[in-house]
Amino acid sequence: MSGTAGGARAALDRAADRMVDATAVERFVIAVASTALALAFGAVVVAVSGYDAVEFMSALLYGAVGNLQNVAFTLRQSTMLVLAGVAVAVAFRAGVFNIGVQGQFVVGGFATTLTILFLAPHLPRGTVGGVLLMLFGTVAAVIAGGAYAAVPGVMKAYADANEVITTIMLNFIANGVVFYLIDGSLRPPGTSSPNTPSFPDYVGLPPFAFGSSSFSVIGLGVALLAVAVVYVVVARTGFGYDLVTSGYQESAAAYSGVDPKRMVVATMTFSGMIAGVCGALFAIMILGYYTDPATFPRFGFDAIAVSLLAANNPLGVVPAGLLFGGLDAGGQYIGFTLDVPAELIDGIVGIVVLFVATPELFRIAGRFGGLGGGRE
Amino acid sequence: MSPPTETNADAAETNANSSETKANSSETNADAPGESEGATDAAEYAVELDGITKRFGDVVANDGVDMAVERGTVHALVGENGAGKTTLMSVLYGLYRPDEGEVRIDGDPVRFGSPRDAIDAGVGMIHQHFQLVDPMTVTQNVVLGHEPTASGLVDEASARADIESICSTYGFDVDRYLDTRVEQLGVGVQQRVEIIKSLYRGADVLILDEPTAVLTPNEVTALFDVMNQLTEQGRSLVFITHKLEEALEVADRVTVLRDGAVVGTVEADATTRGELARMMVGRDVLFERRPRETAPGHPALRVSALRVRDDRGLEQVRGVDFTVREGEVFGVAGVEGNGQSELVEAVTGLRAAESGGIEFDGDDIAGLSRRERIETGVAYVPEDRQERGIVGEYDLVRNAALGNQTIEPYADGWFLDWGAIREHADAIIDEYDVQPADSEAEARSLSGGNQQKFIVGRELERAPRLLVASHPTRGVDIGSIEFIHDRLREMRDAGVAVLLVSSKLDEVQLLSDRTAVMFEGEFVDVVDPDDVTEEQLGLMMAGETSGSGGTEAESDTEPGAVETDGEGEP
Repeated sequence: MSGTAGGARAALDRAADRMVDATAVERFVIAVASTALALAFGAVVVAVSGYDAVEFMSALLYGAVGNLQNVAFTLRQSTMLVLAGVAVAVAFRAGVFNIGVQGQFVVGGFATTLTILFLAPHLPRGTVGGVLLMLFGTVAAVIAGGAYAAVPGVMKAYADANEVITTIMLNFIANGVVFYLIDGSLRPPGTSSPNTPSFPDYVGLPPFAFGSSSFSVIGLGVALLAVAVVYVVVARTGFGYDLVTSGYQESAAAYSGVDPKRMVVATMTFSGMIAGVCGALFAIMILGYYTDPATFPRFGFDAIAVSLLAANNPLGVVPAGLLFGGLDAGGQYIGFTLDVPAELIDGIVGIVVLFVATPELFRIAGRFGGLGGGRE
Repeated sequence: MSPPTETNADAAETNANSSETKANSSETNADAPGESEGATDAAEYAVELDGITKRFGDVVANDGVDMAVERGTVHALVGENGAGKTTLMSVLYGLYRPDEGEVRIDGDPVRFGSPRDAIDAGVGMIHQHFQLVDPMTVTQNVVLGHEPTASGLVDEASARADIESICSTYGFDVDRYLDTRVEQLGVGVQQRVEIIKSLYRGADVLILDEPTAVLTPNEVTALFDVMNQLTEQGRSLVFITHKLEEALEVADRVTVLRDGAVVGTVEADATTRGELARMMVGRDVLFERRPRETAPGHPALRVSALRVRDDRGLEQVRGVDFTVREGEVFGVAGVEGNGQSELVEAVTGLRAAESGGIEFDGDDIAGLSRRERIETGVAYVPEDRQERGIVGEYDLVRNAALGNQTIEPYADGWFLDWGAIREHADAIIDEYDVQPADSEAEARSLSGGNQQKFIVGRELERAPRLLVASHPTRGVDIGSIEFIHDRLREMRDAGVAVLLVSSKLDEVQLLSDRTAVMFEGEFVDVVDPDDVTEEQLGLMMAGETSGSGGTEAESDTEPGAVETDGEGEP
């Protein structure tokens, strides 16, 4: 009895040790292998369910990267997920659970929309005006997203309100208020759907090679730039050190001169600012107008999974976001083209995520959970 | 209940007596047959460890260790941090498997694959950090994993009855708290819950891993009562500690480990603290008050009418006035919990003062934030290193940045200069002899003493003008204590004002130029350490004002070489 239990434990310990010691390259190889293994496993599940596994898997792959248009859609979803994922990761690193990225994203995009719609008559038409509108719109989104995230930050720091609950509630409030304002005040007269007027046609990002109306390389560039900025802030600056130290050990951070209350507010604000950028891109690059937020993709929630898969590492969010974006695109393609239940698609996507996440979970367990031998 | 200082004094006295009766070396071999002390079973030893060797890579943590615990006794296992005490006990508790050697319980060889096997064989361990689930009640915690069931449901009534019977057998007061959540209990009670948990699982042998480290002196006394009750009921205890006076007070026999090997096993009533210290460190350790060659200078820190409240809003510091001069060590003695922590936090900027003034070099710093105080030259060795002084998951490089985020040359505007910080970490490791000498080692992998040396190094290397040292040698082995004390003296001689807070009387007596005794938030008195005996200080710590300052007692002691609680040989 004890022999088998001990053996299983020893095997787990060995696995955890190997995962803790794995280099970045090894981890990437492990992730790719896990994906392949998961797809093979998923194929079996599809076949057992009575569907054509080869057709399913090729559709998943084709939907993700099969042609230029599909690649564009994958990258578009990835861009959103990377930005929202970094927003989540920053907060999680500081030990603050910002579940409200969706709401901050909604508010940010709305601020962009308002800015563009109200400033457009006052600025010159054409490219210069478009660039200016987009810049002002993005700045407005950063401010609005940051401010909307600062609210639960202040509530946590100074009134001891649990940020998980307050941020979730603020998601609903964001959706409701934005819908109310659009439906009540911004909807052009005579239309029935709760949409704002469209942005002027000179507002928008050029599609470049992809020819897609809803994806631009510039958008992806903005997301990668945000990742780079966050990485530098976290790894190289005093603020980043304060932030990460607060996440590990708040009392040690206070000892080193961090004001824990201000840090919570600053972290939430920082996270919300990034979520605001995500909202701005959504409004400018994807929609070109604004509508009922209840119909938006739930990037802010998927971003939690993206961030966890990346172990809350800002750089890791990029591959994790690409994987989720590809699975999302592939899954949607299957939904359009094959007669397969949506649950099966979600299930296969879930298997892939599980397989990719498991080695990372081992790493985390080995590092923080005491799994792994010989580490005191 | 007697004040803890008396307990110390008693222990010291016992040592003195026993040292007189000691004729020759009392070291005995662990294998040598001891007298059977009330053992009725066939096997005389509850636990025998025979030639235990445990290696981690190239490091030999235990090297052929022999140890035997007689039934119904307390067997102390002493040694410096990193001597291999915890590794040895982890072997006994099934956390590690030994590379060589044999473990015998009641004479029968056993091989434990996991703690579960050890528990089944009647071995329980009380960890330094309790393994309790805070939001659950005492009863739930005790039965957790071993729940009695009746028709598939947890039979709480029978669990309750069992716990109550354990409590009445050993005279524990824990049955009062059965429905209280663990998080609401004091540390001492939590520890008794841990002990009951082990007893509930049928432990005959209890391993207590540095159980006194987290306790106040009064709680220590209560724990020793509990330990005596346990041995009277036939349980056998292994008591891991590096506090020699505790080992001598409660243990029947003492095994000393050094560098993973047994130095010797001695009868507790046939040895002295000095002898144990020598066995532990491998050389004579002399703690004595040294005459100083420098003199204190101008006042650096002035605290006036300071009042501080704790987290619950209770006033813990009630109007304290004092001045610390440059090149002076101002010691604050007292039983823990009399406002010292709040005083230190107010001075270092971790806690806002209710009222009163804190002046540093003539400037009012009471309104400055913690970070601003660091920047003005206040260094702080915190009392709780695991909580505050280091971040366990960080390596030593990143720990070297702690508190230096805005200090040049480690900070350059918004950015941190990790190259400079790495050099700084290496310098601390080198100069303060931190082991392992690897700046990339995770801080939590270091032993407590080495963590403390790193913290002391980091704080002293700030080149502070005021050093606040709160229990700077807590949990640190004797060799490192000596080292840290020497560094504090060097700082003092270099003109740094030092505010030293310690619950160790000997430490305050040893280092202070003036000693304040704190009781219930106030200074009972401020005295010259040369003019008072430890007994007088002990009375003052219990709140009794000594009146005439106790200069009469001075004739007994040689000035300049105050005996320090038996740490050195008389």
